[in-house]
Amino acid sequence: MSVLELEDVHTYYGESHVLQGVDLQVEAGEIVALLGRNGVGKTTTLRSILQLTPPREGTVRFAGEDVTGLATSDVANRGVGWVPEERRVFGYLTVEENVRIAVGPDGEYESLRDEIFTLFPDLERFRDEEARNLSGGQQQMLAIARGMVGDNDLLLVDEPSEGLAPMIVEQVVDALREASAETTMILVEQNFPLAMDLADRFYLLDQGTVVESGSTEGVTADDERIRRYLAA
Amino acid sequence: MIGTLSGFLAGLAVVPELAAIVSFVDVPLALGGVGDFLARLLQPDTLVRILLEGMGKAAIYFMIAVGLTLVFGLMGVLNFAHGAFAMLGAYVGGIVLVGTISAGSGVGTRLLLFVVAAGVVFAVMAAFGAAVETKLVRPIYDRPPTYQILLTFGIGLVLEELSRIVTTLRGIQPEPTWSAAAGTIPAVLEGSIDILQETLGINVRAFYLFAAAGGILVATAVWLFLTRTLYGLYIRAGSEDSEMVEALGVDVRRAFTVVFGIGTGLAALGGVFLTWDPTWGPSVLLNIDVLLFAFVVVVIGGLGSFKGTVAAALVVGVADSFTTWLFHTGIVTFPGLPEVTIFLLLVATLVVKPQGLYGVEEVGGH
Repeated sequence: MSVLELEDVHTYYGESHVLQGVDLQVEAGEIVALLGRNGVGKTTTLRSILQLTPPREGTVRFAGEDVTGLATSDVANRGVGWVPEERRVFGYLTVEENVRIAVGPDGEYESLRDEIFTLFPDLERFRDEEARNLSGGQQQMLAIARGMVGDNDLLLVDEPSEGLAPMIVEQVVDALREASAETTMILVEQNFPLAMDLADRFYLLDQGTVVESGSTEGVTADDERIRRYLAA
Repeated sequence: MIGTLSGFLAGLAVVPELAAIVSFVDVPLALGGVGDFLARLLQPDTLVRILLEGMGKAAIYFMIAVGLTLVFGLMGVLNFAHGAFAMLGAYVGGIVLVGTISAGSGVGTRLLLFVVAAGVVFAVMAAFGAAVETKLVRPIYDRPPTYQILLTFGIGLVLEELSRIVTTLRGIQPEPTWSAAAGTIPAVLEGSIDILQETLGINVRAFYLFAAAGGILVATAVWLFLTRTLYGLYIRAGSEDSEMVEALGVDVRRAFTVVFGIGTGLAALGGVFLTWDPTWGPSVLLNIDVLLFAFVVVVIGGLGSFKGTVAAALVVGVADSFTTWLFHTGIVTFPGLPEVTIFLLLVATLVVKPQGLYGVEEVGGH
């Protein structure tokens, strides 16, 4: 059974028809990359899965259950984590509070926190620091940690390398590899080589629909079907 | 110095509108007695009195304003019904006090019943606020902010008019305040504290120390709730980014209801203190009067900031106390001086630091 299935999903912002019938499937343990130029609907696809921008038509099925129309918090509590674009850590909360908030009232917070800090030792050093005082790379680590700590079955990761120095990107990639050992992942990433390096499969979006998909093995930026849709 | 002040007052008097206000200043004192004025102000008993009474006033302003700032911080809703909630708190508290306190009740009994009234009012009004949020405010979250302003302003007006009708039918209004409720205050709180007067010569109305103690208790409780509970964590995070909080599995709508309920309860609690406050008392006029003060505190402190609300309440409380002293000593005979001063503080804050003392650039919204 697929972890996630999107069937003919149509999503709008007001009158703007952004997703025009997206179909995709994600299997357990995979990393799936969503590719495409700016504005083709990659982030909107993630928002539609989480019901932050609910689809007007079509179905989102998570772990076999139709979650279309549910509240975002209900989707998240079923095991969907989100590492949003621009990180969106809570700047006035401490690092530890940013992690704490991702564990529900019934969660075993202390053991989950220890696991996360073992995985991200840098964050443990700053656990009592307000998140706004961290560097961009550290904030990205915190966003990934926050997405992972909820023990999610699916992690939606949006532009994790955006605005980061190459050396920091390497650390972020390592963190994502660690995360992928524990959870299935959908990765939206403009950095094509990085996406191909991390992902098992890809979906290529153009004008709100999936135009290409397949394994990432052997796919390069020179590939004609990729060039046609990714060239500026 | 004297020349400078007289020149300043003469300059103001050139503008006709300002001349009207300047005329309220005791000119002989202003022109020739600045030294006298400072000598009177800087007397330890005067300064301590202004400070302590200011803290008492600040405590009540804080109780009313903190709910407003929490609701705006988390929900992005400017609640114009907040003054009406404080007004209802004053009336419901008054009902409990009048119904339970008799002429023969002692000081201890009156204080105990006040605490009971405060608890009842907080619980009843928190539930009322939660119902208002669920049934009336929630359906328009996705509309532009103008809808929320119009709705909450309308709720405030309806509650005010309903209160006016009920109190008129019961024969409580059109008195400016409900004297039976205000009269339940124990005599010991109406006068000054003997020990301070006898030992230090400080003449402070005991009620303000009582209010200050209540304000410190409430501020501590709210601070502990915000910093030591998971729900408080949700509220602080939601003030920054409520969508992200929801995406982490938190039912933000429920958090909205809880915060609106608590905010309403706290405003009403402030209303209960106003019942015994010598300058206010239970009145339908509280709706607008208190709302204005609460907004001033929230804007000066910074929208959505708990710390800012505490600081701004102290600034406004002490400014109120100082200008009230100016009026009572006859230095200024303009009765609206406290209000004018407080609104000038608001304008100065908006000019110098538009985000307020502790506000961030952008808060609220969802």
